[in-house]
Amino acid sequence: MHRAYMPLLFVTVLQGTPPAMQDDGQWTMPGKNYAATRFSALSQITPANAAKLRPIWNFSTGVLGGHEGQPLVVGTTMYVVTPFPNVLYAFDLTREGYPLKWKYRPEVNPAAVGIACCDAINRGAVYADGKIVYNLLDGHTVAVDAQSGRELWKTQIADIGQGETTPMAPFVAGNRVIVGPSGGEFGIYGWVKGLDLATGKVLWTAHNMGPDSLMLAQPGRGSFGSAPNIGVSTWTGDSWKRGGAPVWGWISYDPQLDLIYFGTGNPSPYNTEQRPGENKWTNSVLARRPSNGALVWAYQFTPHDSWDFDSNAEMILADFVVAGRMRKVLVHFDKNGFAYTLDRATGEVLVAEPFANVTWAKGVNRTSGLPILDTTKTTGVSRGNVKGICPSLEGGKSPASPAAYSPRTGLFYTATNNLCMNFEASEVTRIPGTPYIGANTPYVAGPGGNMGEFIAWDAARGRKVWGIKEKYPVWSGSVVTAGGVVFYGTLDGWFKAADARTGKPLWKAKVGSGVVGAPISFRGADGKQYIAIYAGIGGDWFLLSGDVRSDDPADVRPPADFAPDLARHTSQGGTVWIFGL
Amino acid sequence: MGTPPSVRYPNHVAAGGNQPPSSEIKTPLKNDSSDAADGSKIFSAMNCDGCHGGGATGWVGPSLVDGRWRYGGTDGALFQSIFYGRPRGMPAYGGIMSPGAIWKVVAYIRAQPLPSDVPTERWQQEKRP
Repeated sequence: MHRAYMPLLFVTVLQGTPPAMQDDGQWTMPGKNYAATRFSALSQITPANAAKLRPIWNFSTGVLGGHEGQPLVVGTTMYVVTPFPNVLYAFDLTREGYPLKWKYRPEVNPAAVGIACCDAINRGAVYADGKIVYNLLDGHTVAVDAQSGRELWKTQIADIGQGETTPMAPFVAGNRVIVGPSGGEFGIYGWVKGLDLATGKVLWTAHNMGPDSLMLAQPGRGSFGSAPNIGVSTWTGDSWKRGGAPVWGWISYDPQLDLIYFGTGNPSPYNTEQRPGENKWTNSVLARRPSNGALVWAYQFTPHDSWDFDSNAEMILADFVVAGRMRKVLVHFDKNGFAYTLDRATGEVLVAEPFANVTWAKGVNRTSGLPILDTTKTTGVSRGNVKGICPSLEGGKSPASPAAYSPRTGLFYTATNNLCMNFEASEVTRIPGTPYIGANTPYVAGPGGNMGEFIAWDAARGRKVWGIKEKYPVWSGSVVTAGGVVFYGTLDGWFKAADARTGKPLWKAKVGSGVVGAPISFRGADGKQYIAIYAGIGGDWFLLSGDVRSDDPADVRPPADFAPDLARHTSQGGTVWIFGL
Repeated sequence: MGTPPSVRYPNHVAAGGNQPPSSEIKTPLKNDSSDAADGSKIFSAMNCDGCHGGGATGWVGPSLVDGRWRYGGTDGALFQSIFYGRPRGMPAYGGIMSPGAIWKVVAYIRAQPLPSDVPTERWQQEKRP
């Protein structure tokens, strides 16, 4: 089906992305590479032999929280960051049983656990310049010597007293460490910061709304419009000061354009009537210079968000033909249910089509970039209980479950959720450090009898190519390999492989707990290809799965209304798994 | 030697599940329906429901109406949990709420009917294919 442009793709692959094709066998940053493709050029595991995959090793992290994110492999060492209390393990892959080289136990203020909206998760570390850099939940970034486990620097970046926590995975572009906060449910004043990789010093702070001076925006210079201070004028009064726009997802980087790309989260509070206006730049993609944070362009996926449709999902960078023209694009699967293909130099919308069941909008006007709303689905206190909104606020896809892109197949691979919700907003007052939400949003299963699906997506044409229906929402990340195999996990504790071209299921293994992490592929010290994945249900599913935590006799939970039997298949518990042939 | 992590943070010192041997503090209220109604409003106004859920039935924080208590369920224990906070995420509200307001929240929580059982399974009702 890609006959028309596949030859071009191969040319692009060879000329445009040599690092991906000369895979060094490591996994040194969250999304595998700057483009965040989660594509491994290793090819020993194929559709023909994937059925022979078997467990090689596993390790209990000793932590029960949701194990999001992914391990790193640098040289012959694997690094694993746990949820709170954010222990960092270094495993020696050259010795039998992969024993620990060291373990780093940071000081983390436990008060942060009560400021994390949805379980005390962590989305992983990044390796650069001999350092493992990651965020502690309590608003600190640390750099640890990758050889010795010694702490090199520790910088406070966020304030839990204002509702900011920091579970996201830092990103390194050049000598800048880029970090951001969670706190869209706490009325934070969202930002990103650029830290010096060598010292940890904060070199710049760029807010996502507010006056241009605080947004590091120069109107008229970028392609986001020439009106000044739209980070203020698209809000009412000073509501932007507590307007959310957290940065809790993934970051990517185009070295040639010298732009980092990241998504911003929901406006606070959920009750729209406390923040009239488009609320720029919440629920947006922002392109900034990594050296100084300058805003170059921005695009808002969901203006004046009525549904908690954060846009923190990854922005995957790829080059392919769209409508007959070779384009440098970014591809983004938004919580709002639309998959976007944008020109990554300008933010121009090239493709915007639903990848999930969507009722809140009828489509996206590609010229204006605005969604075409179904106004019966907009929410607010005066609108009462609005029913039948799809997707739910878990998203058509969760930003916590990053997609993968194979330049070999030209397809994107992503977990999706098939849930809808009712939404009843309420007035809420901000008390710093406490929840600032203002909505009750019960979920119901979407149509079709399956609450999730793992899909392959053609981002040039905006259409699904294949899908594997799953009983429960699919909340894991994915990895796709040059061998033509794609991997993902399920909430009921399976880790699965499928043929990347056809979607044919190839293999599965039960991993002991639901999967909300993201798999990686690496070359072991023995030269063989391996796949690693975390098991450990949590994140939102700590809130939604019912009785999955048995270590606390004072916290026993009833079943979730929409998935009453999930706890039949999984409990909490973190394990790192490695599979191989 | 540095200070052990367990006492490095003032808010890390857990009182545990047991009350001190003396001085169980008593509510000055009658815990009547008017106190509970006031407490319900305060519970919402202070964003307690943001963590403990509407009706205090649990969300990211545990349910407060299932009869299970990590730090004790007496009036005095509840007051202490709210006033001083608890180490696994409960903020100390003593700085921003008056003791009188806290006692009303205690009255609200204590007024909720306790279930005779907290079911954690519903799958027995499923039919086998």
